[in-house]
Amino acid sequence: MSRIVMTAAVALGLALGAGSAAQAADTKQVFDFYCAQCHGEKGDGKGINVTKDFATDPRNFTNKEDMEKRSDEDIRGVIKDGGPSISKSPLMPPWGATLTAAEVDGLLAYIRKMCNCKGK
Amino acid sequence: MKLLAVTVSIGAAMLVMTTATSYAAGGDAIFKKSCASCHYTDGPAKEKTIADQLAKKGPELWYAGSKFQKAWLGAWLQDPKPIRALKYNSLTDKNKGDHPKSSAADAAALTDYLMGLTSPEVKAGVIKAAATPQAKQIFNKKMPCGGCHATEKGGGLSGPSLVGAAKRLNPDWIYAYLANIKHFKPVRDMPDFGSVLNPKDLEAVAAYVATFE
Ligand code: HEC
Ligand code: HEC
Ligand code: HEC
Repeated sequence: MSRIVMTAAVALGLALGAGSAAQAADTKQVFDFYCAQCHGEKGDGKGINVTKDFATDPRNFTNKEDMEKRSDEDIRGVIKDGGPSISKSPLMPPWGATLTAAEVDGLLAYIRKMCNCKGK
Repeated sequence: MKLLAVTVSIGAAMLVMTTATSYAAGGDAIFKKSCASCHYTDGPAKEKTIADQLAKKGPELWYAGSKFQKAWLGAWLQDPKPIRALKYNSLTDKNKGDHPKSSAADAAALTDYLMGLTSPEVKAGVIKAAATPQAKQIFNKKMPCGGCHATEKGGGLSGPSLVGAAKRLNPDWIYAYLANIKHFKPVRDMPDFGSVLNPKDLEAVAAYVATFE
């Protein structure tokens, strides 16, 4: 019992302490953590998961020609709902329940910087 | 004589009680000394930011008793083979397979301690290992699971290997994890599928992962 009380007290202390320290992570950190595993840190589509078993190459974000065909809305949508939402491979996961709207907007801007392009 | 028997049996009962508690405390003490520098065991989850997750030197173990199968845990602590292909929290370096090894006696005490750390989110006895066509379709075709996780047939490297999940993981935990991942891991590079798949599909996929040899 005293253990539970103590754990609860510690947890509460932590929650209080961390609340004020919590700040939005910068977009590079968000991209490197969630997206680089498939798209690569440079966005070239050569992440660590892309082995011979990987059926569809992740999009190369540095390819201007491909990336300017996509509207900003499409890119936001595919990040949130995954590849099938725009008839693309399900290997592109749905991140809508994981990322905040602000993080998705940040990633869109980051990808637009990588392709050095605007959406049509 | 009768008195002696009573005394002896009370003594024996006390002995059982004290060994039981000191046994558990033993695992606790070994853990504090040899393991707590890399693993935390006081839940609920502490990670709030990506930086919090990246600062960890090893996976959190506060729900270890719900996650692992006891026999696997006892054996693994004595002979820890890599679970993740990559070094913890790295997307570039290989897992060198250098996890500390425990003696048989320490592993037994540590296992008792860790198996006592459970989460009320995990309902016991719901998921039975089964490879249904519906689950295979989801895992291999409809969802990106294989993009990040290796099975016997190969697959991605960023997530823990699911080879041997049948012996390592508790099927009920797999379901709870997929359905309510934020409870266990508020910050992780696996998407939250709790609202992407319906409960029936989540159950089927959990049951399927629980068959992986
Ligand atoms: C499991 C691997 C994987 C992860 C992780 C991943 N992606 Fe993808 N992504 C893919 C694949 C594969 C494609 C290509 C789909 C196709 O062409 O059919 C893709 C395509 C895309 C596209 C282009 C869709 C198009 O055709 O216009 C965008 C934008 C995108 N991903 C953004 C992201 C972002 C942002 C993240 C991180 C939050 C991310 N991805 C994480 C695998 C992944
Ligand atoms: C130097 C840091 C470090 C120390 C000390 C350490 N571990 Fe670990 N532990 C790790 C890492 C990293 C992993 C992930 C290994 C892998 O994926 O192959 C791990 C994995 C585990 C796992 C499996 C967890 C999971 O979610 O897959 C258990 C159980 C475990 N350790 C228990 C222990 C115990 C008990 C001790 C003390 C005897 C201990 N560890 C000491 C770093 C450490
Ligand atoms: C974008 C990569 C990615 C995708 C896609 C993905 N996972 Fe994961 N998964 C991970 C990572 C990374 C972890 C480990 C998280 C941690 O402990 O920090 C994980 C953990 C797990 C675990 C727990 C394993 C353990 O030993 O701790 C299970 C079970 C699992 N995933 C099943 C699935 C299933 C089923 C799917 C598809 C519905 C899936 N994953 C899709 C990356 C992914």
